[in-house]
Amino acid sequence: MTAALAASHKIARASWRPLLTGAVLIGLAEAAKHANLLPVFVPSPSEVVMEIWNSPRLVTENLAPTAWKSAMGYFIAAAIAMTAGSIAVSVRAVYGPIYNFGVIIHSIPIIATAPLLALWLGTGPQVQIAIAALASQFPMLVGTMQGLQAADARQRELMHVLSASRVQTLWMLLIPSALPYLFAGLKIAAPSAVLGAITAEWAGADRGVGAMMLYALFSYDTPKVWLSVFLTCFLAAAGFGIWALIERLVVTWQRDVEIAD
Amino acid sequence: MQAPPVAAVPRDIKIEQLSMVFYGRGEPVIALDKIDMNVAAGQFAAIIGPSGCGKSTLLRLVADIMQPFAGSISLGGESPRLARHAHSLGFVFQSPTLLPWRSVKQNIELPLDVVGRGSSKRSTRTTKDLIDLVGLNGFEDALPHQLSGGMQQRVAIARALVLTPDILLLDEPFGALDEITRQRMNLELLRIWAESGTTALLVTHSIAEAVFMSDRVYVMSARPGRVTTIIDVPLPRPRGLAMMRTPEFFDCVNRVRDGLFGNEQGGAPARGEPIEAY
Ligand SMILES: Nc1ncnc2c1ncn2[C@@H]1O[C@H](COP(=O)(O)OP(=O)(O)O)[C@@H](O)[C@H]1O
Ligand SMILES: [Mg+2]
Repeated sequence: MTAALAASHKIARASWRPLLTGAVLIGLAEAAKHANLLPVFVPSPSEVVMEIWNSPRLVTENLAPTAWKSAMGYFIAAAIAMTAGSIAVSVRAVYGPIYNFGVIIHSIPIIATAPLLALWLGTGPQVQIAIAALASQFPMLVGTMQGLQAADARQRELMHVLSASRVQTLWMLLIPSALPYLFAGLKIAAPSAVLGAITAEWAGADRGVGAMMLYALFSYDTPKVWLSVFLTCFLAAAGFGIWALIERLVVTWQRDVEIAD
Repeated sequence: MQAPPVAAVPRDIKIEQLSMVFYGRGEPVIALDKIDMNVAAGQFAAIIGPSGCGKSTLLRLVADIMQPFAGSISLGGESPRLARHAHSLGFVFQSPTLLPWRSVKQNIELPLDVVGRGSSKRSTRTTKDLIDLVGLNGFEDALPHQLSGGMQQRVAIARALVLTPDILLLDEPFGALDEITRQRMNLELLRIWAESGTTALLVTHSIAEAVFMSDRVYVMSARPGRVTTIIDVPLPRPRGLAMMRTPEFFDCVNRVRDGLFGNEQGGAPARGEPIEAY
């Protein structure tokens, strides 16, 4: 009970700043629109909200498919990237090849590959899931590789002198030292998975935020375009935010490492 | 009343013609050049010498962290590797080397988590006794980043004592502590050493500390790292602070100082960081 209370207190303390920033930005946009400071093709936040109000099914029917496809691709990518990263760190010979393979996949232009993959895999959700995975793997791969090497030489020597087994060293030293890097990777990868899924939806999907965005663009329905932009941001920010919160609760001893590729 | 302490298996340290060379960029560094040492089981020995003379390297070779370039090390007739696998070695590093996600209590208990709580090496001191010993009452659940450097080092010392090592290797363990805490830790360390029968090898920058603690002081010189002088300290035990005022103590201190600086009385060390003369 008190633990749950402490956790919610922590969450509140961690999230009031970003929430306040968001509220202020929305307020400013609304004011700017009313003062005629924004171009005609930019609707005010209230117009976008009205769009949701008028057709709530538009949101639910498109948000949910994109959300679960992004999440599927993301978690598949996480599993593969963490496995590959662990292998890379433990087998020196494949370190370079695995890293380079990650770089190559990361540099593939998704907008061009999505239609090709659709030809190959069919037009079902598997294309969007695959693209979400391809688009999000790299930060998680780098986070795993860097994280598992983050323990310093003295700490390794300590475990060595204690004659700790490899499993004990992994469990007691390497994984905890890797956590800040893993979380950094997981956070950065979440928006990439959402953007990947949405881009893939352009190549053929009847439901999803990306599909909705495309229809709205072709019918010059500006508020709906902006609604889809807003939904994209919402999904991406939610993915990032969830991990940021979990990180705050788990990594209490250190925070904000940078992962460098 | 405390339960009788766990006794260490007596192990001597025999080092013969030990050499260590580091190959890096530029010229190879001869960190140790044909070192001989002989510390009897249950003895307390100190190593003193300028920075870079290979003291840390020597301790790391004894702890099987590195392999020697040439020569041999025998710990109670066994190789350092066997001794390490038998969980016989305790090591206090120059820096605290705590695990930042573990609390003070959990850091002290790390060796128990590795070796197993039922290990025969386990000291009869409870974690609470050890926390008392190093003066960290009330900080049991603090994380390392909430402690000062000196407090962190005291956690590291408590961690080295949670098992009773046959051989205790200490690499300038008290360098970060203030003089008062340092003196107190020295006395406690001597007490624990005396009741457990552990063989101890202490690296220090302080001449007084080297003499106060040990039965034998090895004086080393740098580039290449060599043992230049061996001074036996025949002062009686148990030792207390009063002993530090006796002429016998001063006599030993002077012999170590002569070993370090030759006869250029009052002269500064030729290179490396300054040695605490007293
Ligand atoms: N891992 C290493 N690689 C290369 N050179 C090293 C390494 N460890 C120590 N040295 C060199 O060996 C010499 C002795 O170092 P060290 O044992 O740390 O000295 P001390 O502890 O007496 O200050 C120094 O010149 C140092 O630069
Ligand atoms: Mg050193």
